[in-house]
Amino acid sequence: MAARTLDISGLTCPMTWVKTKLELEHLAPGDVLTVACAPGEALENVPRSAREAGHDVAVDGTTIRIVRGE
Amino acid sequence: MSDRRSFLRGLAREVAGATAPPPRPALSDGELERYSRQLIMPEWSERAQRRLRRASVLVVGAGALGSPVALQLAGAGVGRLGIVDGDDVELSNLHRQFLHFTPDVGVPKAHSAAAKLGFLNPEIVVEPYQVRLDAGNAAGLIEGSDLVVDCTDSFQTRYAVNAACCAARVPLVEGGVLGLGGLVMSIRPRETACYRCAFPEAPPDAPSCATAGVLGPAAGVVGSLQALEAMKLLSGIEEPLLDAFLQVDLATYAFLRVGVSRRDDCPDCSGA
Repeated sequence: MAARTLDISGLTCPMTWVKTKLELEHLAPGDVLTVACAPGEALENVPRSAREAGHDVAVDGTTIRIVRGE
Repeated sequence: MSDRRSFLRGLAREVAGATAPPPRPALSDGELERYSRQLIMPEWSERAQRRLRRASVLVVGAGALGSPVALQLAGAGVGRLGIVDGDDVELSNLHRQFLHFTPDVGVPKAHSAAAKLGFLNPEIVVEPYQVRLDAGNAAGLIEGSDLVVDCTDSFQTRYAVNAACCAARVPLVEGGVLGLGGLVMSIRPRETACYRCAFPEAPPDAPSCATAGVLGPAAGVVGSLQALEAMKLLSGIEEPLLDAFLQVDLATYAFLRVGVSRRDDCPDCSGA
């Protein structure tokens, strides 16, 4: 299992999810991506998009922890 | 000594690899933004985008079908687009050939098209070929292409493109439009039915756009379907129209998928 980090706090929609999605494409199922996010729209949209894409998501403050699904 | 150096270099690489940040996506920030709305699709991916960027596509005809095909493929990020057309822009083209504008009347279509496509996407390479494709030059024009999209309006040219693609084993997207109807078909030569397998002979009384007319939106729909087929074939996503053609009736909005099979006696594709 690998773990990666990504900072999208300086980005706006849709680049917040573009960067996150492409990073997840490089991971294997079960790998963890920790995303540093700014408060606001992205903190709502990125977790939702990740869940819709089939990943496990937990949000702690402005940190989004995504476990890549199958 | 050199053994020791290479061992140390290898060790350094291993250590660096263990702590290095993940490799950056191989697309530039500009490309990520330009293609962001397709990259966020679940069906699309960085891999699909890179396949498009690597691809060389020949668009035969820069008219009613070639306009949507070339614009869509340039916008989507196909790395190299060849545009083949021997005609000049005419006033009567403009209602349906939206690559060309009124000031372009009299300009070769291949060059008018290339100029617009360059404005649309300067990240890609566009090569205009001001020549009419025929049986004699088809092989040379197609050589080096990963895919051909046939946007011509005559059966003679269509059969020439089909034969050349079959001989060179280059995948082909066929299309045709007339009035309010059209047809789209994808071909993997010598694997799936080719255009001549589906239509062995041209109808003896086949009308052309010059005699039968066509509405711009009909050409836009059929050309967009061809572009979609090209993107499916190049990226590997979803199911292209192989061993089938799609018959589109835009008067009633009936879309009919008709299955076709390879013919053992096909003069274009059975010689494998």
